[in-house]
Amino acid sequence: MIRNYFKIAWRNLWKNKGYSFINIFGLAIGITCASLILLWVEDEVNFDQAIPDKELVFAVPTNQKYDGEWRTFFQATPGPLAAVLKAEIPEITKSARKRDIGYLFNVGEKSVNSAGSFADKDLIDIFGLNFIAGNPKDAFKEKKSVIITQKIASIFFDKSDDAIGKNIQFDKKETFVITAVVKDFPENTSFTFDWLAPFENFTDGKEWTQGYGANFTDTFVKLAAGSDVEKVNEKVKAILPAKTGDAETEAILFSANDWHLRSKFENGKIDGGRIEYVRLFSFIALIILIIACINFMNLSTARSEKRANEVGMRKALGSGRKQLIFQFLTEAVLTAFISGIVSLLLLIALIPQFNLLIDKNLSLAITAPIHFLPIVIITLFCGIISGLYPAFYLSSFKPIEVLKGSRRQSGSASFTRKTLVVIQFSISIIFIISTLLVYQQVQHIKNRNLGMVKENLIEMPAANGDIIKNFKSIEQELTSSGLVESVALMNSQILSGGNNTSGIDWQGKTTDADILISIRTVTPQFFNTAGMVLKEGKGFTSSEAVDSTKVLISESFAKLMATDNVVGNTIDYNGQLLTINGVVKDFLYGDMYGTSDPVMFYHQAEEADYMYIKPAVGVEINKTLAAIESVLKTQNPGFPFEYRFVDEAFNERFKSEQLVENLSQIFAVLAIIISCLGLFGLSAFTAEQRRKEIGVRKVLGSSVLGIVKLLSKDFLVLVLLSILISVPISWYVMQNWLQGFAYRIDIKLWVFAIAGFSAVLIALITVSFQAIKAAIANPVKSLRTE
Amino acid sequence: MLLELNNIFKWVTQGGSRIFLLKDINLQVEEGEFISIMGPSGSGKSTLLNVIGMLDNFQEGEYKFLDESVHSMKEKNRSKLYKEYIGFVFQAYHLIDELTVYENIETPLLYKNVKSSERKALVADMLDRFNIVGKKDLFPSQLSGGQQQLVGVARALIAKPKLILADEPTGNLNSKQSEEIMQLFKELNQAGVTIIQATHSETNAAYGSRTLHLLDGGRNHI
Repeated sequence: MIRNYFKIAWRNLWKNKGYSFINIFGLAIGITCASLILLWVEDEVNFDQAIPDKELVFAVPTNQKYDGEWRTFFQATPGPLAAVLKAEIPEITKSARKRDIGYLFNVGEKSVNSAGSFADKDLIDIFGLNFIAGNPKDAFKEKKSVIITQKIASIFFDKSDDAIGKNIQFDKKETFVITAVVKDFPENTSFTFDWLAPFENFTDGKEWTQGYGANFTDTFVKLAAGSDVEKVNEKVKAILPAKTGDAETEAILFSANDWHLRSKFENGKIDGGRIEYVRLFSFIALIILIIACINFMNLSTARSEKRANEVGMRKALGSGRKQLIFQFLTEAVLTAFISGIVSLLLLIALIPQFNLLIDKNLSLAITAPIHFLPIVIITLFCGIISGLYPAFYLSSFKPIEVLKGSRRQSGSASFTRKTLVVIQFSISIIFIISTLLVYQQVQHIKNRNLGMVKENLIEMPAANGDIIKNFKSIEQELTSSGLVESVALMNSQILSGGNNTSGIDWQGKTTDADILISIRTVTPQFFNTAGMVLKEGKGFTSSEAVDSTKVLISESFAKLMATDNVVGNTIDYNGQLLTINGVVKDFLYGDMYGTSDPVMFYHQAEEADYMYIKPAVGVEINKTLAAIESVLKTQNPGFPFEYRFVDEAFNERFKSEQLVENLSQIFAVLAIIISCLGLFGLSAFTAEQRRKEIGVRKVLGSSVLGIVKLLSKDFLVLVLLSILISVPISWYVMQNWLQGFAYRIDIKLWVFAIAGFSAVLIALITVSFQAIKAAIANPVKSLRTE
Repeated sequence: MLLELNNIFKWVTQGGSRIFLLKDINLQVEEGEFISIMGPSGSGKSTLLNVIGMLDNFQEGEYKFLDESVHSMKEKNRSKLYKEYIGFVFQAYHLIDELTVYENIETPLLYKNVKSSERKALVADMLDRFNIVGKKDLFPSQLSGGQQQLVGVARALIAKPKLILADEPTGNLNSKQSEEIMQLFKELNQAGVTIIQATHSETNAAYGSRTLHLLDGGRNHI
């Protein structure tokens, strides 16, 4: 029996190649799309899976209260906290500090830049490092021990075992002994490092790391199994206020389960994060699948008349309704499975492109049951969803009506069909509108006035090596070459937040105002280099000594002061009196969507982390880069030439928005393609069904245009209805999305107009293709067939 | 007694008044009979056959099939009954286009859950008997009208029904094909199958053992 079903299903598919193509291809697109999204979702939700007992592992950020709002900071706990947590809270079994730092590694002639951390020994257990060579017990025995990852080991040594006991140089200054090699982290890991060395290497000789005054390190803890996290969290929160007497800074527990997906903090509490995108995209995958299934339903019921005869006959021959339902479901599932196979091929072809797009390294790994099963389930789901309605509809035919030929298309089926088409097109139009708005918003932010010129601005790390020491001569050599306009140093990346303080007082500051001011140390040419504008007063001189008590402040800082004329005023920074030498226009850093904190600039080269270079106008950039490289070769020997452009770094900031933009474009295109495939099939069917009517009308004198209008009108009404439905929905949804950005676009009406117009146009082209074909057919032929 | 119709009425209501499709039909059919139903177009021949075949309902009257009351039966039991005892032959053949000759003939057996080996034997017998072995893998569209109807008859017979209902079985055929099919019916009847056919043609009606004349839903002559 089932063989018989398959046979007839197969023959039906084969006989109606056009419809089968639309069904199979539409479903295949849907399944492919859903599978790609699921792969991405899988990668996202499996972040930090390598950590053993993940639910017991926590990071410890601090909440600090400014102006009545809690703000959450990472790598911002004081030095003693880790030990205190372990000593005073019995549920905390392990605790470790971690401070990230980049070094140039040298073994013999070979060198490589590597980012790693100084950390306490417990971190090995908390992160569950996998030892390939060496062992966890002896790894941190000596102060100058270092654990390296396989990746680093493979650069210097043939075998991991060879690395043990070998020396490795940090920045050509300090020598460490490799005690262990650990497995590389999976790509979806939140906190990664190339090496780990004992924390004392960072703190020794730095008195300020010993007390509670400086928040400078990450802290991680592991709880005992079965601990009540909420209770422990309360205890953790109480620790810092008890030690410092300051109730406005408290440490909190942040579960490893949330590190990746729920890392957005709002007023000290978790407020979503990437999980929102994971949910959104999963939902969209489902929607795309459903609109693909709708095609199948619509075409099956539309073509029901062709199958009606078979249904009637089978019933007369003794088939029950159940058997017919089963037969039609078999057909749908078979179609879905063919689509599943097609989509597997599509997946194999598309995954590399998809990886480029989302910047991940996903693989299909179809033999793994965790990948194979979902695809089978999705396929089955599609088959059943799309087959169910047609099966029930078709099997409900009464044999007597069918065999007498008295059965006409019932109104309910065509109503359902119209509803489904409206659903498809509403979704497509919502996608189009959303895509337009997401694109506008991303562009809007990218074109935001940053208060500086990011284009062509070169940024390179300056903390290691001799750049700071030799800065004067580097600056001199570069500017005299004529290829570079100016060079400057700064203590943090220009786009990032960095050091800040609330310890600044000025005249007229209300005593309880708790305002966070960022502190930047720069060299005099910084403002010129970054294209920032000095609004009032003067910049720094060429002498650090002369400028030692002078500061420049940003416009927003100046606004905080009660007076109009701030230049020449003094401010008090933890007891140090400083004179305001000038006011600089605000520039944007940190959160690119928000407003940045006020800034105070010092003249100081020593603490610099980055060097900025502004190339001379009109010079080929490659020449400039070559000149910089050759200067640094002599001024900063032994360190690789590393740089990037600030505008590239800027664009990188919008990865997740870019992802949403890219994906929403794809979804919009796919949704429209699938919907149009369906519309194409339906219009072909209508044209076929009304062939005779068209013939008669033509004989009676109707023009081709008249016929095209007649056939297209019904579908256009549906598309217009879809526009009416989708506009308010997309307005509401996108308005909500935009609320998440402080700096955002206003939704303009023309976006809806464009989306609606393009939907109508695309639908019109799709439908009129069939309509024209039917209209220009020779009426004699269509009338003769009866 | 194979079946018995007593005072069967069937009507549709149109514009408040009843239009009778069947009006007071009384009919008794013994096993082994060959009955022809004659009458002009619209006289209710097909409706009567459909009622007998249990494909259609009626409003009033009694219908007994093998001493079971069809009119008080549930849909499910009714379909079980006709599946078991009745075979249909249609004017338009109504073969399933996507199935081959072999598969078309086999289909009723599938719905009766006959075992595969038995099915093969039965279908092979039938193909043999109708001399269409060579055509078993062809699709209906590849056959002439007469051959299609032959397959239709074969399909009606495959489940060994007690009764064959044939609605204008030769309506779409030329006279030679038509004669062949009627001859076939005659032979089947002689082999013990009860046949009721609806027909326009006096010649075809003459094959039957008795003729029932219908006029506007009512019987006016036996």
